[in-house]
Amino acid sequence: MEAPALALEGVAVDRAEVPVVHDVALEAARGEVTVVLGANGAGKTTLMDGIAGLAQVKSGTVRLAGTAVEKLAPYKRARAGLGYVEQARTTFRTLTVEQNLLVSQRGDGDLATVYRLFPELDKRRGLQAGHLSGGEQQMVVLGRALVSAPKVVLIDEMSLGLAPLVVRRLMTTVGELAGMGIAVVLIEQFANLALDVGTSAHVLRKGRIVFSGPCAELRGDERRLHRLYFGGAPSAGGPRSDGAEPGGATPPAAESEAR
Amino acid sequence: MVNSVIAGLTSGGGYALLGLCVVLTYRLVAVVNFALTAVGALGAFVMVSLTDRGVNALLALLAGVVFAAALSALLGAALVRWFAGHKEGTKAAVTVAIFVALTAVGVRLFGGNSTGAHRFPNPFGAPLFTVGDVVVPQSVPVSLAFALLITVAVGLLLTRTRIGLKLQALSERPGTAEVVGIPAPRLAVGVWAGVGAVTTMVVVLVAPRLGGDFSTLSGLISTALAVAMVGAFRSLPLTLAGGLILGCLEGLSSSLDAIQKYQGVVPFLVILVLLWWRSRREVWDTEHGR
Repeated sequence: MEAPALALEGVAVDRAEVPVVHDVALEAARGEVTVVLGANGAGKTTLMDGIAGLAQVKSGTVRLAGTAVEKLAPYKRARAGLGYVEQARTTFRTLTVEQNLLVSQRGDGDLATVYRLFPELDKRRGLQAGHLSGGEQQMVVLGRALVSAPKVVLIDEMSLGLAPLVVRRLMTTVGELAGMGIAVVLIEQFANLALDVGTSAHVLRKGRIVFSGPCAELRGDERRLHRLYFGGAPSAGGPRSDGAEPGGATPPAAESEAR
Repeated sequence: MVNSVIAGLTSGGGYALLGLCVVLTYRLVAVVNFALTAVGALGAFVMVSLTDRGVNALLALLAGVVFAAALSALLGAALVRWFAGHKEGTKAAVTVAIFVALTAVGVRLFGGNSTGAHRFPNPFGAPLFTVGDVVVPQSVPVSLAFALLITVAVGLLLTRTRIGLKLQALSERPGTAEVVGIPAPRLAVGVWAGVGAVTTMVVVLVAPRLGGDFSTLSGLISTALAVAMVGAFRSLPLTLAGGLILGCLEGLSSSLDAIQKYQGVVPFLVILVLLWWRSRREVWDTEHGR
């Protein structure tokens, strides 16, 4: 059986020596979008940073197409096929659009594919990335991940600060990336947009996975999402102060909704 | 006086290159490298020790350059390995400690100001031409051409080659550079090695004019930092200009008896003036920003 493009087992990640992510297990298959949701501070970005090598994985394994990479330097993980679209449109601002793509181009990575997906960038090849609009900068960052010929692309909150129209446009591209056979792991503040494009979803709360299942189960169910994010029933006056699930002394990782 | 100023251009070209090395190390690997000239001086003294033993000057220069490049790369690798996540101030402090250690070792091995002056080869010491009373030695065009060549070559490397683009990306966003697959540690060590090699060549070029003892050559770091400050630790052309101006100022001060003995203070004066000028502008900005 073919190994999943990305598989996490018992992953714990620290941020500045503080444990933030605990015992996370998830898989991302080729050609699918795996959505990771959670409230602010749930540990989503720390989890992505841990996978990419920017934060320290304290325990557990991160496998890329079956190969353990959690001890590799970030650039070695990238060369093993991991693309990372970080939060906050991290273009190299003094480099032109084309130079941004060239520095990460590897293997079969093709600039023409990027320009086909984003014709706006084709017209601005020679312009410094710092002079682009927010949406165009996000396209550069997505394109940069694409030209590295990745097996997996992690996308962290790409809609941050962008107009809804641009966000919808970029979400379509996320679907196209999956269509190319890439495993996409998507963190997104607009949960329903992400669930529309995704196949499977995971919800993080306080650094632990409290839900794993098909996106269809959560799509449009705001009350359930709210309960998964905050651990309380919204109709009963918002999140519970102790953060526990109803009825429960059960640890979140073992809750009935995690599967 | 004009003779001294012209002669100062020889050192000026060298100072420009030392400043350039400081700027490059700061821009590309985010370290203010106080150990720069100590490493270069060690390389230069490896060379002169070999020529003293009858080794061909070019071979000896090659050995000195390779030694300094390897030593600088080793320091860079240590900083990458153990201090990558630390603040710039911490990394600068580490290079200060290395400067002190290397200077102590160098003085021990090669002697201090009064005992350690060596005779460096001076192939460009002869006059090139004379205009009136002004003698222009060969070292002036050689030094200027070397400074210009390296500045232009570095500029082209950074803007026209894939590796240069990667270095720019690394200097702008080190974390992001790594996650897009740029081998940051390897490139950083390469920068350190290149800077070590160039510094040795510069020290060899200016040593005949400055006296050829380890302490003086190692202490060129103050001049290098002053020149880098002229370029605001960013601009290569301004750094080049700063080196030439400092060389001329030094030449001028050596020709005036009243201030000759304070010649060594020139770089510090330049640093103080630049600090005052820049902080003055910051105060102005702050007041008007309210």
